[in-house]
Amino acid sequence: MTAPVQADSQLAQSTLLMKVRGMTMSYGSGTAENKILENLDLDVNTGEFISIVGPSGVGKTTLLRCLSGLLHPKAGTIEVGGAIIDGPHPDLAVVFQDYSRSLMPWMTTRENVAFPLQGKGMNKADRIRVAEENLAAVGLAGQGGKYPWEMSGGMQQRVAIARALAYNAKVLLMDEPFASVDAQTRFDLEDLVIKLKQEFGVTILLVTHDIDEALYLADKVVVIAEKPATVVDVIVTGFGEERDQVDTKADPRFGEARARILHRLRKN
Amino acid sequence: MTSATLTAAQPRAARKVRRAGGPNTGTRILQSTWLVFVVLAAWWVFSARSTNFFIPSLEQILTVLVRDLGNGVIMAGALYSLANLFVGLLVAAALGIGFGLLLGEVGWLCRIVDPIIHFFRSVPQAALVPMIIGVFGLGQGPKMGTIAFACLWPILLNTIDGVLGVEPTIRKFSKVYRIPRGLHFRKVVLPAALPQIVAGVRVALPIGITVMVVSEMFASTEGLGFYILNSSATFQVPETWAGALLVGVVGYIISMLFILAERRMLRWYYASGSQ
Repeated sequence: MTAPVQADSQLAQSTLLMKVRGMTMSYGSGTAENKILENLDLDVNTGEFISIVGPSGVGKTTLLRCLSGLLHPKAGTIEVGGAIIDGPHPDLAVVFQDYSRSLMPWMTTRENVAFPLQGKGMNKADRIRVAEENLAAVGLAGQGGKYPWEMSGGMQQRVAIARALAYNAKVLLMDEPFASVDAQTRFDLEDLVIKLKQEFGVTILLVTHDIDEALYLADKVVVIAEKPATVVDVIVTGFGEERDQVDTKADPRFGEARARILHRLRKN
Repeated sequence: MTSATLTAAQPRAARKVRRAGGPNTGTRILQSTWLVFVVLAAWWVFSARSTNFFIPSLEQILTVLVRDLGNGVIMAGALYSLANLFVGLLVAAALGIGFGLLLGEVGWLCRIVDPIIHFFRSVPQAALVPMIIGVFGLGQGPKMGTIAFACLWPILLNTIDGVLGVEPTIRKFSKVYRIPRGLHFRKVVLPAALPQIVAGVRVALPIGITVMVVSEMFASTEGLGFYILNSSATFQVPETWAGALLVGVVGYIISMLFILAERRMLRWYYASGSQ
């Protein structure tokens, strides 16, 4: 376990970007109260890729909705860049799980990517330019005139990622973004996200139930479990910047970490 | 190699031709309209021998129609009627879409006014014509108002439905990306609800035409409804039939034009297969 220690000291130098403290969330009240999240803490450093992994139904989507401002947690605070945020915030962009439904079929892909920038008050020429740049970044150069429904699922998810990138938020929140594409497309999209992180230095918080995906992508894997859910383990992967679908997954540390997470999750 | 390319290319070329023009445009129009001609021919033949005073021959009806179209009697009436219809529909669409968007977005408001909307929707619109004209008088304004009132409900209800049917993920997107309210209405909610809204207008169209005719049958001196009522009261039976036939044809043409406009406006909707 020398590598994680090394990575730890490396991370200690980077600055804390997002700080979640004591987040508690429940639905209903009184005896019918259903506690989903309990006293959950999370630290995200600038430029870091964090995977949040947990079994289905543990409350991962609830957690992400709280973080993105769609839900108000019952208790706890979220800080981004030192300021406490409450509700949707320009520093947070979200890539939704059901990407095909989050794109608007009456807009071309270019318009879909540019639209949130209009909301930010950017002028038309700049919007189009930024949209085209970000479409190119996700490998869709020159495809801006197409409608989402003229594209494959993988391409649609690329558009959704381009839209989040173009929004120029400090943190990208991704909710099981590759859950509904085929295995090959999934590998391509995972590698795309790694590339984007390296190129643009985006900070990414990704929620998934897939342990392999969590480990492969992340600098740090946060394991959540139990009911109500709380952080039960944090693993620093230490694979470095370069990842490879075959080699990284063959790394002995990969197997070790996977076993550790599986053991932790199967305890419940 | 050459022959292989040729045989491969041929079916594609053939398919393209068929898609572009069908067998040919004339034949296609004939295919979709032959029944109309058969019905007209049957009407012509059977009505030719009619001895019933109230069932004139089609020949008589068409002769009168051509005569009154030519001498401007019908034209003036038709323009008057269509102006009422057009303004009425426009007002209904503006109010229906505007309030529909608002009520669809604001749940508590919608629940308060819901019984009122359903009450007015259930009242047969033609039954309101005498009251409205009694209260507001005989001018063109009250007629437009009556048409607008009748057409409002299907547009309003469909707009509300359309707004409620907006994909939840798109709503989440709009919220997370902090799309300002005005932009959210114009570029997210309105286009998402547009297929439903347009369907509402399509339902309102024949209602509007009915109320247009009925509104001109009460103490009116102009319009297609007046033409029909007046000729009927003076036992000019072919004129009565001609007027009714004309209203039908006008209604049909308006519906066709509307469908064409709809296809253009909702191209994404039909092309994406969302319907």
